Amino acid sequence: MSSNKFFKHEGPWSDANDPLMCSDTGDWRSKRPVVDKDKCIFCGFCAIYCPIQVMEMVESSHFSPDLGFCKGCGICAKECPKNAISMMPEGEFTK
Amino acid sequence: MTEQKKGKLTNVLDYLKHEDPFSKGVAFCPGCGLELLLRFIPQVLGNDIVMTGTPSCSAPVLLGQNNQSWHKLSYFGTLMTGAAANATGLARYYRKAKIDNTVVCFNGDGTAADIGFGNLSGAAERNEPFIYICYDNEGYMNTGIQKSGTTPFGATTTTTPLGSASKGKNLRRMNLALKMAMHKIPYAATATLSDLEDLAKKLLKAKEAKKRGFAFLHVFAPCTTGWGYAPENTIEVCRRAVKTNYFPLWEAENGKIRMTKTVKKPKPVSTYTELIKKFAHLNEADLQILQDDIDYEYCMLGGLSVLEGECQLPVSLED
Amino acid sequence: MNTKTQKKSQIKVITGNAAAAIAAKLARPDVVAAYPITPQTEIIEQISQFHANGEMDCELITVEGENSAMNAVMAASLAGGRVFTATSSWGLVFMYDAVLATAGARAPVVMVNVNRETPGIIAVSSGQQDMISTRDAGWIFLIAEDCQEVLDLVLQAYRLAEDYDIQVPVMVHYDGFYLSYLSEGVDVPFQEDVDAFLSVLKDQPERTKLVPGGKLGCGSHGILGGYLELRYKHVSAMERSKAKFNQIDQEFFEIFGRSYGGLIEEYRMEDAEVVLVGSGSMCGTIKTVIDEKRDAGIKVGLLKIRMYRPFPGEAMVAALKGKKAIGVVDRSLCFGFKGGPIYTELKAFETQLGGSKMISFIDGIANTDITTANVGTMIDTTCDLAAGKEVREVTWVSYPEAQEEGGL
Repeated sequence: MSSNKFFKHEGPWSDANDPLMCSDTGDWRSKRPVVDKDKCIFCGFCAIYCPIQVMEMVESSHFSPDLGFCKGCGICAKECPKNAISMMPEGEFTK
Repeated sequence: MTEQKKGKLTNVLDYLKHEDPFSKGVAFCPGCGLELLLRFIPQVLGNDIVMTGTPSCSAPVLLGQNNQSWHKLSYFGTLMTGAAANATGLARYYRKAKIDNTVVCFNGDGTAADIGFGNLSGAAERNEPFIYICYDNEGYMNTGIQKSGTTPFGATTTTTPLGSASKGKNLRRMNLALKMAMHKIPYAATATLSDLEDLAKKLLKAKEAKKRGFAFLHVFAPCTTGWGYAPENTIEVCRRAVKTNYFPLWEAENGKIRMTKTVKKPKPVSTYTELIKKFAHLNEADLQILQDDIDYEYCMLGGLSVLEGECQLPVSLED
Repeated sequence: MNTKTQKKSQIKVITGNAAAAIAAKLARPDVVAAYPITPQTEIIEQISQFHANGEMDCELITVEGENSAMNAVMAASLAGGRVFTATSSWGLVFMYDAVLATAGARAPVVMVNVNRETPGIIAVSSGQQDMISTRDAGWIFLIAEDCQEVLDLVLQAYRLAEDYDIQVPVMVHYDGFYLSYLSEGVDVPFQEDVDAFLSVLKDQPERTKLVPGGKLGCGSHGILGGYLELRYKHVSAMERSKAKFNQIDQEFFEIFGRSYGGLIEEYRMEDAEVVLVGSGSMCGTIKTVIDEKRDAGIKVGLLKIRMYRPFPGEAMVAALKGKKAIGVVDRSLCFGFKGGPIYTELKAFETQLGGSKMISFIDGIANTDITTANVGTMIDTTCDLAAGKEVREVTWVSYPEAQEEGGL
């Protein structure tokens, strides 16, 4: 049969046994969330409301964002009941 | 510095029993309600669901590119015109072949309310054994914000733009969820992203109801890009939609409608529209038309839920 | 058709529609979608009755429209099932987006299309326009001449579509009103023989299937080279289906004792000087008239097209080469061209025919019968062409106004 350079099958099948595609969405943001771990009451609202779910638990203390993929939407900061998260301009941080 | 006393971890996390099968970096707008929903579903229902998807905002992520995929789920990407019929074919074959399955037919409001409504209605009428989820962002968003059947009165879209002869959509929206409940299916419900525990419970109920037949879930999923609000407000928009009865939360099990969240003192719809630019041009009289429409729909819902004791849907029929 | 004596047989007098329904039953499909449209309705009625009697162990989906019928069977097929549905004319074009999607997804769907006039004018009558309107769908198209061939082609369609080397959906066409409602004696195969015929497929590698947790997704975007790769695979598979269909004709003969000749059937063509090219039920009439003409000394033959897509150009050239004159009979129109569609397609091979001349006959549309007299006229006209006389390129046989002064 013909070449399987782009597809492994006869028809338009994709195969998730191969590595998934992943975009560098962390590059998109112009603000990033900064968590004040002392104000954080570990309720988890930021984690459940984050569309990408980048909020990771740090022991049982607080949540911290995985900045590789955070798009800077600000939902976490808005939803935090204790205002423990601030959205800071990206320009203030060095990579 | 005094440390804040730690609160209780939200219940919602208990429902997220499975891993998120989606890649972390996918092309949804920052703050997209659909992204939250799409990651949520397989974490609640499991990674062995088979999702069908159509051209829509979900398509660039749900469907692959050549051999590669953005997620680990089995999926079937096809056209808007036959989404529910595709899901029917899958669910029926799996039943014949005795393959354990949960087919989730995942569509936007454009497919569900407009171009794909015919086969959605047909699948519901036949009580096909799968879950149909409509995520409602009130328009055709992937093609650049056009009006659909669920776009509310007064909203601006690119096909109902503002102009000297137009003040946005001059028609009231259709109530898709209520129409589906009227199909006598085992389960129909509305849900949204501000009430995630409610959404999780409804997803699980839909999965359970699938054993008896068709389950329909209508999820209100705001679109920050298309509606014109700051991305951080996505959850707040959902919250206000519920608090104003713009989007009431209810479920219908075997036709018995009950509110899953009763809002005792609903706020005026203006507290919802004030957040969203697509309503910004509406004056008081226009807002009143929208308010009347919301009140009418809620009144119907209320009336139907009162009948629950009097009208009983017969036990679901075996094939 | 070649036959050999069989050990046992069961001849039943049944309509073309019933033959199609019985063939579908014998193939043991997993999922069948049913929606009625004249002149196909009897097929799905019969299948529904089989199902209600417990004679068919399948999921019968009484869909709310043809579009859903094709979408449902396509998905079921991609999940791994054997499927069946039937339609005609408007139903076929209503499901056309799904027909294209099915071909693109390479789902081995088998569908019967009972030919009826389409598009444009409301007509509940005969014609191959529905087949012509959808010929670029990327499906394999087979055409039956009589009720026996209807049954046999549906069985062969499964063998072809689901073959691991092919995996292209197959549509079996036959003339509505002429074959759909016509009762003929049909040798109905026994279930065990059909099972044996299709058992070859079980020994082949398994095709790609959509399974829960399988991590494979169908309907991925085709991007640039990937898209082209899929198209190339599809076109290649269609080319392979020609030889495969000939092979299947042989396999069929071994078990059932009937051979049709594969891609084309050549009737009294060996020494023919004049040939009519046709397809479908008209061929029965043409064969009768050819026998009469032969008795009168005219060397005429029939080339019957059985596989229409892919177009069996090589086989037709081999059969027609050196013939003096060819009259192509179309039961449809080719909008934008004066001649009929099959005529126009065959014309592309004209230079390979070694000087044969070709003309087009258009007849049999909207239940205007292709009578023996009409066929006689076509043969006579083609003989005139062979003799070097001045002859019209296109003749609308049942519509004399087209041949008047100032006409096409």
